[in-house]
Amino acid sequence: MSHLYGHYGAEGAGYSQPSALLPSTKLNIPSSLRRKELPALPRLSEPEVVRHYTWLSKRNFGIDTGFYPLGSCTMKHNPRVNEVIAQIPGIADIHPLQPEHHLQGLMSIFYEMQVMLATCAGMDAVTLQPVAGAQGEFTAIRCIQEYHRTIGESQRTKVIVPDSAHGTNPASASMAGYDIIEIPSTADGRLDLDALSAAVGDDTAAMMITNPNTLGIFEKNISAAALIVHGAGGQMYYDGANFNAILGKTSPGLMGFDAVHYNLHKTFSQPHGGGGPGSGPIGVKSHLADYLPGPLVGRRVLALNEKSNVSDAWYYNWIEPTKSIGKVQMWHGNSGAVVRSWAFYRRYGNELETMSEHAVLNANYLRHRIMEEAKAAGVSDAFTDGAPVDIVKHEFTLSLLPLKESKGVGAMDIDKGLLDHGYMAPTVYFPLVVPECMMIEPTETESKEVLDAFAESFVKVLAEDAKVLHAAPKSTPVGRVDEVHAARNLWLRHEKGRQS
Amino acid sequence: MVDQLPNLGREQEMLSAMGMSSIDDLFSDIPEEVRMTATLPLPAPQSEEEILADARRLLGANVPLSERVSFLGAGLYRNFVPSAVFQLVNRGEFLTAYTPYQPEVSQGMLQAMWEYQSMICDLTALPVSNVSVYDASTAAAEAITCSVRVHNRKASQKNTVWVSELLPPEKMSVIRNYCQGSDIILKTLLHTADGHVDLASAQSAAGSCGIYVEQPNCLGILDEGICGLKQIIGTDTALIVAVQPTSLGLIEAPGNYGADIVVGEGQPLGSPLTFGGPIYGIFACTNKYLRQMPGRIVGRSIDGEGREAYCLTLSTREQHIRRHRATSNICTNETLIALMGAIHIAMLGPEGMRDLAIRNMAACQATKQRLAAIQGIAITHGEASHYNEFSITLSAPAADALTFLDNIGIIGGHDLGRWFSSRENELLICATDQTSAADIDALVNGLESWLEVIS
Repeated sequence: MSHLYGHYGAEGAGYSQPSALLPSTKLNIPSSLRRKELPALPRLSEPEVVRHYTWLSKRNFGIDTGFYPLGSCTMKHNPRVNEVIAQIPGIADIHPLQPEHHLQGLMSIFYEMQVMLATCAGMDAVTLQPVAGAQGEFTAIRCIQEYHRTIGESQRTKVIVPDSAHGTNPASASMAGYDIIEIPSTADGRLDLDALSAAVGDDTAAMMITNPNTLGIFEKNISAAALIVHGAGGQMYYDGANFNAILGKTSPGLMGFDAVHYNLHKTFSQPHGGGGPGSGPIGVKSHLADYLPGPLVGRRVLALNEKSNVSDAWYYNWIEPTKSIGKVQMWHGNSGAVVRSWAFYRRYGNELETMSEHAVLNANYLRHRIMEEAKAAGVSDAFTDGAPVDIVKHEFTLSLLPLKESKGVGAMDIDKGLLDHGYMAPTVYFPLVVPECMMIEPTETESKEVLDAFAESFVKVLAEDAKVLHAAPKSTPVGRVDEVHAARNLWLRHEKGRQS
Repeated sequence: MVDQLPNLGREQEMLSAMGMSSIDDLFSDIPEEVRMTATLPLPAPQSEEEILADARRLLGANVPLSERVSFLGAGLYRNFVPSAVFQLVNRGEFLTAYTPYQPEVSQGMLQAMWEYQSMICDLTALPVSNVSVYDASTAAAEAITCSVRVHNRKASQKNTVWVSELLPPEKMSVIRNYCQGSDIILKTLLHTADGHVDLASAQSAAGSCGIYVEQPNCLGILDEGICGLKQIIGTDTALIVAVQPTSLGLIEAPGNYGADIVVGEGQPLGSPLTFGGPIYGIFACTNKYLRQMPGRIVGRSIDGEGREAYCLTLSTREQHIRRHRATSNICTNETLIALMGAIHIAMLGPEGMRDLAIRNMAACQATKQRLAAIQGIAITHGEASHYNEFSITLSAPAADALTFLDNIGIIGGHDLGRWFSSRENELLICATDQTSAADIDALVNGLESWLEVIS
């Protein structure tokens, strides 16, 4: 083991700094505010820091390490040029309070992203400010809330979510002050229109749903659902977590949605960084556009004799929406992520459709290969389809319930077995509507060879002895981590002398 | 032609394995009436070389602060970030990982975040830290809602939190958005004419759920009075203090004067400005708030063989378990940027943190002294102790001075009139460890020239 808090070199072991412009004795610090004892931080030299974090990195699994079929998370390859671009001083070293004429290049990129995202989703206006998917949800729901208040319909206090929704949907709507109505899915994992009709009323503010849904299947009745919600005076909100499946094929706008969030860290390859940063812009139809958090980037024709170092035609300027809900982040959101995603989208341009085609091709192919391999190995009774459909979109679900009942091996055990085969494990126990659920999303950036090999490994794991799987993983830096112990015996920071 | 797809050209092979003949078969479940019929009206795909050239052209048209003499801070601060930070966080195992739901193969990031939590605890003198929220403004908002969840039952001022009036309106706007859903009443904590918290006003906060102050505040003022606030408000009202984390090697840790929750903008530790995002919000607290706090927390545990192992813990607070009853909707956070902060702190160590604070404060004070000597410029709240920034009062709008300075290649600071209408003649000036004596000379000369022009 390497411990940061195991390093205590001599005083000043870290990197040395140039001297201050004034000696510390000259500083005007009220005595009660001068820190009495230095923080008890470890002392490391650069060689120790570099080795420690390199050691840690070797104990971590990323897309670069191997196949990462984490359903609902769209773990696609992160092109490296995007990282190079994000370090150009014209994004890394600029400040949001600089005047517009210092920022024309970035503002033109923002403008292009606003247009591209609106185009792909069939929306009329986009803000790039929300910094994560959940924050995008919250922002859009707040816009809907202010819209209803403005048109005199503040009695709309309920938000409807299907029971298969991501947890952030109800959490975000609840944070905005809404009551949540959860409606059940049909037996085949789809939206239940009867349940929806029964749930809507003049207290309905919005329905939040993703399509394809969390089972990876397309909600064919989405237009009918939109009619029901709109008929009751509610708004339709599209959770963009599964947007990767449909670019260029359909759009939330065509399906009847009023608002949508995008996950740039899923669909547009912002690296997820072990938990973040993300970026969660939202798009809305024109009736909600005035409520967006500002400012947005607009543009006007250059005046005669006016010059721009970016465009021969346009000057980019900030625009404050007239009835804005206010801000959700201090500045303009995760601009570094927006620039990376801009570089990603430029790679595909008007062929973004090809990206979605390959995401769906890979998901269906992998699903097919798993079935085929399971049949050949005589283990196809170990699981059932999460949803009885011929084709899926970008991901699919399996229920490991039969295996759980026959061998006592659950979805989590299969996950841990897969770790021993060198794969990141799929999402399990979500959506909650599929028992012993396993959710697999390969993304478009995996080769046929990887998919074939995974299908074979998956079936091998299914056939493994229950004892082996209960003890898995064995080849990882640590074995199964005792999460109950962690919660009952809280140890949340370095404490000198603490052993357990 | 796009180039990121390994199976390009092999579609037929894969389709026929599935008994299908065309890609369209895979989308036959999308009803006709919602299908997009035309190609997306976007430009043609580009190669890496073309994208890089465009990025260099467009981003190269911006004006980075490194190309100018700059005194702009106002919530984001340019400090030197050691090279090792960038090299290490760009390791693909960190960069391209998801949230560590599978702890057995995520020990690296989990341990790194546990160590981050430890360092934040050491800096703030509090026992608990999460692994970051989005930024300073959302950290402030989450701290306020958290204080209500913890204290509302006993509070005599129900649902009420007192917030310092010296907050940038952008931050206040975020706080309002986060608070309106739970009907939280935000009352204004006044400041005296010298820029310090009005202790009489603080007295009125006793019995509420919380009080939110900043140390230093948005005018750069370090306020001794904040050290006594806990005695004024008592144990049943949360003392929430926002800090500038680079100051904590020199300035007292809020945990040592009774702060219950400490938040702040992590950016100056580890991260370039990046136009204000991605950056990271610090959130630390006492044990009393642990089960009501937002965000991910890493715990140290053991594996089946008793070996040291780390995992996410206390997840029952979070949206994926608790859904609409979660303490926050946060899921994705700013882990990688917090990791940059952690590596920066690791490179500094205790004395390095102290020296960094001295450099920031010394640069600020040296600038202040030089400007104070200029006829026609008054240091606003000049007697106060300042960290990183201070305000000067001019005889004309600060916006005019900024335009003049911009024309001679100096970014002079932030026009305080944009934050507070009564301060349109005030310029907020920021100096950091990157400010040199020559920069200060340039600012002094620039302001003197401007004063000549307007006189």
